[in-house]
Amino acid sequence: MKTRYHITLILLIIGGLYGKELVFGEPLSQTEVTPVSTILAAPDDYVGKIVKVRGPVVDVCANRGCWMDIGGDEPFQKITIKVEDGEMIFPLTAKGHTAIAEGKVEKLHWTRDEVLEIKKHQAEEQGIEFDPNDPSIKERTIYRIRGIGAVIEE
Amino acid sequence: MAFKWRKWNNILHRDLGYLAFGLTLIYAISGVAVNHVGDWNPNYKIIQRETTISPRSPGKILSQDEIQDILRELNVSGELNNVYYPSPEEVHLFLEGHTIELHLASGQVYEEFVRERPLLYPMNYLHLNHPKEIWTWMADIYAVVLGILAITGLFILRGPKGITGRGAWLTGLGLLIPLIFLIIYL
Repeated sequence: MKTRYHITLILLIIGGLYGKELVFGEPLSQTEVTPVSTILAAPDDYVGKIVKVRGPVVDVCANRGCWMDIGGDEPFQKITIKVEDGEMIFPLTAKGHTAIAEGKVEKLHWTRDEVLEIKKHQAEEQGIEFDPNDPSIKERTIYRIRGIGAVIEE
Repeated sequence: MAFKWRKWNNILHRDLGYLAFGLTLIYAISGVAVNHVGDWNPNYKIIQRETTISPRSPGKILSQDEIQDILRELNVSGELNNVYYPSPEEVHLFLEGHTIELHLASGQVYEEFVRERPLLYPMNYLHLNHPKEIWTWMADIYAVVLGILAITGLFILRGPKGITGRGAWLTGLGLLIPLIFLIIYL
C-alpha cells in the first residue's frame, strides 16, 4: 500500500514537472497581445516600445537557443525574439509549440557584409551549405523584439 | 591537547570530495561537450532527411484534408502542433520533435527530427545553469566546495611528496599553464 502511494506520488511529481509550460526570463507584464501583423504593418511606431506577441515557434537558434522566430497571425510573417546568450535559452524542441513573448521592439540596419556573416553563421549552425551568392544577401533593415520574458506552452 | 589541523584538513577534503563527486562528473562531461559547441550540438541529436512527394499548388492556404494527405504521403503519424507558411511557395508542418518543410511547387521535402540527448541534455541543463533560481545558489556552493578541495588537497601529504616538495613543483606548473595561455592569447 505504502509502495503504491510512493509510486503515485513520484509519478505526480514527474508529471507536474514535465507537463507544465516553459517559462523564461521576467514574468509577462503586458495585458494585451499585439498581433505580429500589426507590428509589421507599422514597425517604426513600435520601436522602443514593449509588446507582447503570441504565435507558433517556427524556428529556434540550434546551438545556443539565443533566439526564436514566432510566426505571425497572418501567413508569410514572423518576428524574431532575440535574447542575450545564456540569459534565456530557448529549447530546440519548442518548434511548433505556441509561445507568448514580451520584449522591446528594436530596429537594426545591416550592411551586405553583415548579412553575409549572419547567413554564414546560420548555415554553420544548421549544418547546411552556405551560398555567398544567395540573392537574399543584401543590405537590409530588420525589426525584432529584444526578449524580456517568454512562456512556451506545452 | 594541540589542534590536529592536518587530520581535520584530510577529513574535510575526503568528505567534501565524496559530496562533490557527482556534480564534478556532471560538470566535467558537460564541460567537454559544450567546449565543442562549434562542431556539434551537445544538447540535441538532429536527424535531417530529404525526400520528394507530389507537388501542390503554391500560393494558397492548405485545407486540413490537404495537410493530412501530405502527412499520409510522407507516412507520418502523430499530432500536428502547428502549420506555418514562410512564403507562398512553402509550408512548414510541426509535429512533436519533427519539422516538415515542403516546397509546394516541386514537392521537395526537408524533414528535421530533434531529440534531446538523454544524458548530456540534463547535464548541460545544470552545468549551464538553465534552471537559474535556487540552482544558482547550489552552483555557487559547489564552486566554494571546489575551492576548499583545491586548498585542502595541498596539505594532505607531508614530507617530500607534499606541498614542500614535489607538490610545490606540480602546483606551480598548474598555475603556470593558464598564465602561459593568458600571455599568448591576451
